Amino acid sequence: MSKKRGRLQIIYDILSVIKEKNGKIKPTNVLYKSNLSNQMFQEYMNELIQKGFVLEKDTKNSKTYSLTQKGFDYLNKYQMIIDFTNSFGLGE
Amino acid sequence: MNYAIVPHWFFGYNVLLEMLFFAITLLVGAYALKIYQISGQRQSKLFGISFLMISASYFIQSVLNFASSYSMADGCNTQTMSLAYTLNIAGIYAQMLLFTVGLVTLAYMTLRIKNLKAYFLFAAIAIGTLLASSAKLYFFYIISSILLIYISFFYLRNYLQSRKANALIVFIGFLFLLFAKIHFIFSINHGAFYVAGHLLEFVAYVLILINLISVIRRK
Repeated sequence: MSKKRGRLQIIYDILSVIKEKNGKIKPTNVLYKSNLSNQMFQEYMNELIQKGFVLEKDTKNSKTYSLTQKGFDYLNKYQMIIDFTNSFGLGE
Repeated sequence: MNYAIVPHWFFGYNVLLEMLFFAITLLVGAYALKIYQISGQRQSKLFGISFLMISASYFIQSVLNFASSYSMADGCNTQTMSLAYTLNIAGIYAQMLLFTVGLVTLAYMTLRIKNLKAYFLFAAIAIGTLLASSAKLYFFYIISSILLIYISFFYLRNYLQSRKANALIVFIGFLFLLFAKIHFIFSINHGAFYVAGHLLEFVAYVLILINLISVIRRK
């Protein structure tokens, strides 16, 4: 059985999916690849947009997501955050 | 109020070591708060706050020890001695309370609960026991040791779950901190334990610093 993902890991997964296709990815693709329920996905996306990690763009047919500099920073520093939280027992 | 016996030759070295502990705990605390800013993770915030309290405690301790060794070297009259005594008592209380609340915050963080009433209850029990006791310094070291036993067990479990070198370093670091506090209990009667306690604390904080540096360098 796989281990339950923590909050930091889920945020990393969402941001990684967006980074893979930066500026071109649609909500359904992110939802599918991030492996979350619709409700959880909405909660995380709202938080990420609100905190400035992700930029939401409305196009004619739907909306797309792209990473902000803060989002890229989180991905770059993720390993350091994980190392720090794991070694000091701060994981959720 | 009882006092730890400090060997005369160790005056100055203790101040240097305490300043070093202040710097290391300040660095770790500030870094944990930086992690909290990036990730919004509550545990990092609690960890950061607890280390900043411990850091402030070491700062007060080192300033007090510096002032007492300075006044001893300089010599002083009755009036300045009385003022120095009052300041010293206030400083010792502040140092003990900050360190105790710092450890309570750290222990609360390990519980993974979100209940401020429980936090204040733990803090009140620890501080109340400390203030009500006749041998305050003695009880301060005993309460710190009890909290550190619990915290060390938490870090042992953290290491056993991850089996990573960094988690082992942190566990050993907290174990040394526990040994140091146990030695300080006996420092009230024997000066050698005061020196041993400082040396054990030195090893503990160097290990914690090594972990922090390895985490930062890996980025």
